[in-house]
Amino acid sequence: MTETIAGDTVGGAKLIGTADRRFPLDGLGLTLVIVALGVIFTLINPRFASVDNFLNILTQASTYIIVAMGMTFVIAKAGIDLSVGSMLALVTCVFFGFIDDGMAWGLALVIMFALGALLGAFNGILVAFLAVPALIATLGTMVAYRGLALLHSSGKLYYGLPLEIVWLGQGHIFGIPVPVVIAAVFVAFSWWLFNRTPFGVHCRAVGGNREAARLSGIRVSRIEVLVYTFSGICVTIGGLIWMARIDGTQATFGTAMEIHVIAATIIGGTSLFGGRGTIYGTLAGAILLTMLNNALVIAGVEFFWQLVAIGVIVVIAVTVNNIRENRITWLETLRVRRNQARNRSVARGSIA
Amino acid sequence: MSVAQDHPASEVPSSGERGRSQEGEEPPLLSVVGLEKSYGGLKAIDGVSLTIEKGEIVALVGDNGAGKSTLIKTICGALRPDAGDIFLRGKPVDFGSPKDATDAGIETVHQSLGLVDTLTVPENVFLGREETTRLFGLFPQLDLGKMRAETRKLLERFGISVPTLNEPVFRLSGGQRQTIAISRLLLSEPSLLIMDEPMAALGVDEGRRVLDLVVNLRDEGIAVLMISHNLEHVFQIADRIAVLKNGKLVGVVSTSDVSRESVVGMITMGVASIDPKRTDR
Repeated sequence: MTETIAGDTVGGAKLIGTADRRFPLDGLGLTLVIVALGVIFTLINPRFASVDNFLNILTQASTYIIVAMGMTFVIAKAGIDLSVGSMLALVTCVFFGFIDDGMAWGLALVIMFALGALLGAFNGILVAFLAVPALIATLGTMVAYRGLALLHSSGKLYYGLPLEIVWLGQGHIFGIPVPVVIAAVFVAFSWWLFNRTPFGVHCRAVGGNREAARLSGIRVSRIEVLVYTFSGICVTIGGLIWMARIDGTQATFGTAMEIHVIAATIIGGTSLFGGRGTIYGTLAGAILLTMLNNALVIAGVEFFWQLVAIGVIVVIAVTVNNIRENRITWLETLRVRRNQARNRSVARGSIA
Repeated sequence: MSVAQDHPASEVPSSGERGRSQEGEEPPLLSVVGLEKSYGGLKAIDGVSLTIEKGEIVALVGDNGAGKSTLIKTICGALRPDAGDIFLRGKPVDFGSPKDATDAGIETVHQSLGLVDTLTVPENVFLGREETTRLFGLFPQLDLGKMRAETRKLLERFGISVPTLNEPVFRLSGGQRQTIAISRLLLSEPSLLIMDEPMAALGVDEGRRVLDLVVNLRDEGIAVLMISHNLEHVFQIADRIAVLKNGKLVGVVSTSDVSRESVVGMITMGVASIDPKRTDR
């Protein structure tokens, strides 16, 4: 015999904000925005709506999508990783250095992934064991990793990869660009990892309530190091595709990448305050941003305006998220006052 | 599964276990002897001795700063006592961490509940001890079906119902969150459940449901030690009341033997003003 206590809102019962109910619609809402923007861009320039351009957008987005998967885990854990762009430059420069020295590409690839994991783990160790706030820790490594990339390459522009690697960026499988295939598989893997494994739950638990996670026996520091390591691995995969696509790299590559990736993640509905996120939302966010870039390029808008657009979008995305989570106090006060005024007028009406 | 609708307050606990242990055939579930804990120069608890039997509810009452929280923290392993001993089923135990206590079957619901608001009910219930299967026989993944089924079973067993298991717990009411915080501890089949103000900040109706749940737990044979400021609740469900003042145990009395006034007297004046034969100190 079970009674339903669904309707209980007495006393200490936490009232459900109507805004919260919109949360599951994030992915759908973004998808609608993408479709609407697609229609608008096509009306402006019919070239936009070609299959080629569509695949082109996805190919361009593939690196951002993959790096943003790692960022989703990091942000859901209530962290941030500003070093992704520098890390991308460093791992690709190191890889190219080995190729130039005549190392077999397979071995260079293994070293590249080990380095990516190590650089990520280093971020995690700073955060987990030295208690450096993630923002500062990764701001530091952002500059340091960039410095290492510049030191390693001495400002050199690398080019000329083995054909097997170039295929990863420029090849096709059944007419679909290889980067798109890799990104699709990686997104599926990330969704599984995020939603269906103990690791994913523990990331969200640490982000949502660190103390409760610790009391539940989760080794919080271990999760932190693993999360940043995963981000490093994502950067390595993304970097591999990136350099293969343009068949080259240099130490300044990936500058301002972190803002794009963080924007994609936040637009997707992952809370900057940790505890929750959606893989599909991040995917949609990354595609949306790339589409916007693509449209601006087709429309002939200067690159500098694109930077302005990205900055504005990030601020808007965070604001929307804050409204959704009732974090803006003056807005909340306004809403409460309005409700009170309405209730008063209703009361007066009933007396009259 | 029946939800206790009436207050069993006036009923004398009829469990046979207590009778047996009083005859000395079986050691009490938990007994603490001469516990002391100081913070700097302040003795938070000073020579407290207390026993808890299987399947009884002991309420811990006292004014602010009486040492209630310190006492339960030493029992649940969060604090190490400076002196004194803790015996579990007659055997001495030394809890270095809360994990040692939970491994020994002592679970604690803290006032902060220890829930992760953004996770769903089953994710919270199984947090840190997830049920897993292997994807393609290789990669560990959550067995969500089993976690949901087990959660449902657990909630039904104690007459708890939540609208849907797939909602993050911040969507639930205070009482529902409280019951989920309790039920997640029941997963490990504890023998003693410690609760810090389980009914605080709950409405009348919700508080009643939590009380019913606590009574159900006792009927399942789980011992409950709960801190409460609400004497009405204490008299409704507790079998015995332990009163602390200034870190010292004023007395332990059977709920059926005392009036509310005398308990208030013990709390404020620090004197056991009742028949000494009745206090099983």
